[in-house]
Amino acid sequence: MSAIEITSVSKVFNRGSANQVDALVGVDLSVASGEFVSLIGPSGCGKSTLLRLIANLLEPSEGSIVVNGKSPEQARLDQDYGMAFQQSGLFEWRTVAKNIELPLELKGWGKSERRQRALEMLDMVKLADFADHHPWQLSGGMQQRVAIARALAVQPSLLLMDEPFGALDEMTREHMQSELLNICRAQGTTVVFVTHSIPEAVYLSNRVVVMSPRPGRITRIVDVAIEGERSDATRDNTAFFAGITAVREALRGVEMNDHIRGIEDR
Amino acid sequence: MSRAVDATRRVLPPLVVGVLFLVLWEAAVKGFDLKPYFLSAPSKIWEQFTGNFDLVWGAARVSGTNALVGLVLGAIVGAVMSLALSRYRTLGDLVTPLAIALNAIPIFVLVAVLNNMFAITSEVPRRVMVTLVVYFIVLVNVAKGLTQVNGTHVELMKSYAASDFEILRKVRVPNATPYFFTALRIAAPAAVITAFVSEYFGGSQNGLGSRITSNIANSKNAVAWAYVLGACLLGLVFYVVSSVLEGVATPGGTKQQDRERR
Amino acid sequence: MFVVSLLIVAVVWEFYKWVGPADGGKVFGWSLLPRSNDNAMPHVWDMLSRYGRPEVRGSDREIWRVVLAGAWFSFRLALVGFVLGSTLGIALAVLMARFKVAERGILPYLVVSQTVPLIALAPLVVSWGGKLEIFGYEWPRWLSASVLGAFLAFFPVSVGTLKGFTSPPGASLELMQSYAASWWQTLRRLRFPAAVPFMVPALKLAASSSVIGVVVAEISTGLKGGIGRLIIEYGRQATSDPAKVFTAVFGAALLGLTMAGFVALADLWMMRNRPKETAA
Repeated sequence: MSAIEITSVSKVFNRGSANQVDALVGVDLSVASGEFVSLIGPSGCGKSTLLRLIANLLEPSEGSIVVNGKSPEQARLDQDYGMAFQQSGLFEWRTVAKNIELPLELKGWGKSERRQRALEMLDMVKLADFADHHPWQLSGGMQQRVAIARALAVQPSLLLMDEPFGALDEMTREHMQSELLNICRAQGTTVVFVTHSIPEAVYLSNRVVVMSPRPGRITRIVDVAIEGERSDATRDNTAFFAGITAVREALRGVEMNDHIRGIEDR
Repeated sequence: MSRAVDATRRVLPPLVVGVLFLVLWEAAVKGFDLKPYFLSAPSKIWEQFTGNFDLVWGAARVSGTNALVGLVLGAIVGAVMSLALSRYRTLGDLVTPLAIALNAIPIFVLVAVLNNMFAITSEVPRRVMVTLVVYFIVLVNVAKGLTQVNGTHVELMKSYAASDFEILRKVRVPNATPYFFTALRIAAPAAVITAFVSEYFGGSQNGLGSRITSNIANSKNAVAWAYVLGACLLGLVFYVVSSVLEGVATPGGTKQQDRERR
Repeated sequence: MFVVSLLIVAVVWEFYKWVGPADGGKVFGWSLLPRSNDNAMPHVWDMLSRYGRPEVRGSDREIWRVVLAGAWFSFRLALVGFVLGSTLGIALAVLMARFKVAERGILPYLVVSQTVPLIALAPLVVSWGGKLEIFGYEWPRWLSASVLGAFLAFFPVSVGTLKGFTSPPGASLELMQSYAASWWQTLRRLRFPAAVPFMVPALKLAASSSVIGVVVAEISTGLKGGIGRLIIEYGRQATSDPAKVFTAVFGAALLGLTMAGFVALADLWMMRNRPKETAA
């Protein structure tokens, strides 16, 4: 059974008025369970909108979305997914552990159970020593790890991420990518990952969904054909470079028709 | 089309609330037969306001002049002193704690002292009081504007071997100008309030504050409310004028400053 | 440093006394210079020593006791006003955050009210004392002072708190939405804690406003027991006993500082888990 099934989805903002925006038109996508899929494209291509439609933070104008065999609303109410943003979004008045406990509090978990799960999560992202620190005492990369730990606290089968590593420097970024893959592999999590970075998309994903704007739609889906488990060695792999080239060309195809900025080519 | 809709959406709710409030007030006074010493009906207040407009205007002029004199003087002295403050750090360390402490104190009680230092019919104690209050507001804000400049700008000027005075002229003062007008906007209502409250301590009886108390003492509450309305209008005028000044003096804000630098 | 600046003020005061005209002077024909004789401007040490002497000739109550008692009386009134006004302010902010219509209709008035001298209403509110009866209870005169203080404290607190309620970034709100959190849960766990840094300056302003409200109310009525009345009383006696009024003025200063200190402590406690702001 596929984890996410998106059929003929459109999203229109301000329909009928002068500032109508066709954020997404005719989107079809199927994500298998345990798969890692990236959404990449220039500004305005609708990748963040698509993510939010899956998360039930927005309603589609047309078409249907099925998450884990349920409606997105039900999936949200059942806490089937965890979400991470570019700004770690940690609450500065809570300790690191208490930040991770937030979704558990809302679900009505007991105090000791929450604490236990939070510490487990911190172990997983290797920040167990910082449980009682405050977010502002941690570096940007560490804050993002906490945010990921929080997203995984309810042990969801699905992870939705909107450029979570965008604010980090290159070295931290590569390190976080490896960490993320380790965690998701161990948990068998399905991931939908929005990014601006081609190497990041190729390194992390089984498939890269290339999107274009005006109106937002899927242009091409690139299969990343890298054998075996990803590791630091992968970054020197020819298959890795081939993947990057394929995605870049798909994006260039888009570029030929519009003048677009916003893609990193590192 | 949507612009008009937006405008109505913004203006309509407060308008409705305001009208509703007045209607309920009027109804409550009439319906519960509230005694005038408690609340007067809006209609009566308006009657007294328009009827006694000359008197209200006269009193407003007195209080308003006091506020204005103090505002202008306090602003000038405050701005000048802040230049000294930005230049000599020790001066700043001395004055800032004093300014912070004075913020917490009901400073207008000094009027009782000032009244003794001047003739009984003088308006000067009130003006001195307003000047003092405005002075500290302007001082603190303009000093902030003079010292909290963009570090990069200062580094640039130093790389041009600019003197401290040139840096003051070309970087600090332009940076501080919006702060000055913001301080003015904050100080304007404070000036009116101080001018007002100072009148409760005795001395000349020509201002709005004294009129309100005397009318209440004579059980002419609706008239007192009319003076209250006058006071509110005075405060509003001061605020609006200083806000407009602020807007006019800082068009585009920092963008303009960037343009000048080029 | 604060002590040094006070000393400097004292020095300037004495300097003017030494240099200034005893019966006041004219600058450009305007009577601008204050009188510097001992009656109008007592020496600093006279003011301080006055504290040790009795209030009234023949009484055995030293004046510092009287002033302190007056300041304490007014402090309690201001505290009641502050708590009352702040609580109502926060309640209104919650209402406005919940119902956008309420915010659009009421907020403009709250913002405007801070520019208008609301204190003009003081004599009116105060006149209710002794004349009004609600459900058989007579309106005590001191309540007017607290009500005025509450009234002045209410506005900055509701505006500041609402600003704080609407401050969280969109991502945090989306996060709570993704957790299917109810509006109240979001208020409790996100909006309220996020509002604290905005409430701190508002509460400081509310504290000084409530002191002003109480003192003005006391002055309008001569409310017995408060520091306002003492200032007026001693002010009237200034020709015979010039140093006396200063004792009350310092008492009022003490009142203001105590209130500010109290709120500052509360602020420290509220911001205990936050990153310390570094000066720009």
